[in-house]
Amino acid sequence: MFTRNAFVGAGFAGTGNNFMNEKEFGYQIRQALNEAAGKLDYKTTYRLEQARAAALARHRETSTAPAWAPALQAAGGRSSDGGSRLGWFGSFGVATPVLALIIGFIAIYQWQQPQTPERMSDLAAMDFAVLMDQTPIRAYADKGFGLLLRGETEDL
Amino acid sequence: MASGKELADFLAGVERRAFKQAQYAVRDADAALDIVQDAMMKLSEKYGDRPAAELPPLFTRILQNATYDFFRRQKVRSTWVTLFSALSPHNEDDNFDPLETLEAMPGSQSAESAADHVERSQVIAIIEEEVARLPTRQREAFLARYWEEMDVAETAALMGCSEGSVKTHCSRATHSLARALRARGITL
Repeated sequence: MFTRNAFVGAGFAGTGNNFMNEKEFGYQIRQALNEAAGKLDYKTTYRLEQARAAALARHRETSTAPAWAPALQAAGGRSSDGGSRLGWFGSFGVATPVLALIIGFIAIYQWQQPQTPERMSDLAAMDFAVLMDQTPIRAYADKGFGLLLRGETEDL
Repeated sequence: MASGKELADFLAGVERRAFKQAQYAVRDADAALDIVQDAMMKLSEKYGDRPAAELPPLFTRILQNATYDFFRRQKVRSTWVTLFSALSPHNEDDNFDPLETLEAMPGSQSAESAADHVERSQVIAIIEEEVARLPTRQREAFLARYWEEMDVAETAALMGCSEGSVKTHCSRATHSLARALRARGITL
């Protein structure tokens, strides 16, 4: 393929076949470069193997990230895969707090609804009894308070 | 998406060429190994999920950028600028790019180790030396076209230039190599 002490063919220098000669020349050089690349010393090939192994280990790390943490995965198209991997688990996790909220609203609404008349009377009686304990003695001498007491008692 | 095996096979097939290309550019085996390792890590980490067919041009681009980063770091560290020490423009068009005509610095260590090899190894070593001496853009275009087997359009996209520029770079590189090898008595 290569010979020393000879001249490069005149055809290459300036004929009409420059394109074809250039291509052939390029491929000849490629053969030489491939041969040189195949003769690397052990130290270099070992370091290249180490570099390749490290790169593949990094690739495995990025491609086996946890499915429940899509936000931690590298940018570059992982979010769609992470979203599909959430699936039913993700739906359940979103629905539960919403359901709890709805139940809470219903409970509060029910608690705030007007009480039945009987219930209201009982509560009033209790309040009255407490008030009676705390009412000063002089209040009982008041005619209006006495009327109030008699009116409330009859209603009960 | 490339599988782990496809990625592994690709890296195994390209690592030697990548090392050689980096070595031609930076003239230092250890630095070339670091550049190749950085490129492999970046490809695996950032683009490992791309289809297998996209890996070769991606990796070539990453390798080029890593090489340029090496030069930038070197320029910052060095106390004097040698990058533009041998400018000699051959054309005067408006798109003049100094990297098109910048000669590589002489005195590479790789040529001195060829003395003990047989004649074929010596010739191959001389060829490698002359390839490394090509101006950067010419070498990039030549290696992309004839060593990486990219077509003109792919090479233009890789280098960020027009297809006409790629053809020009390849033509000039071929003629420079042929002239240099002829001067050293080597025929192809």
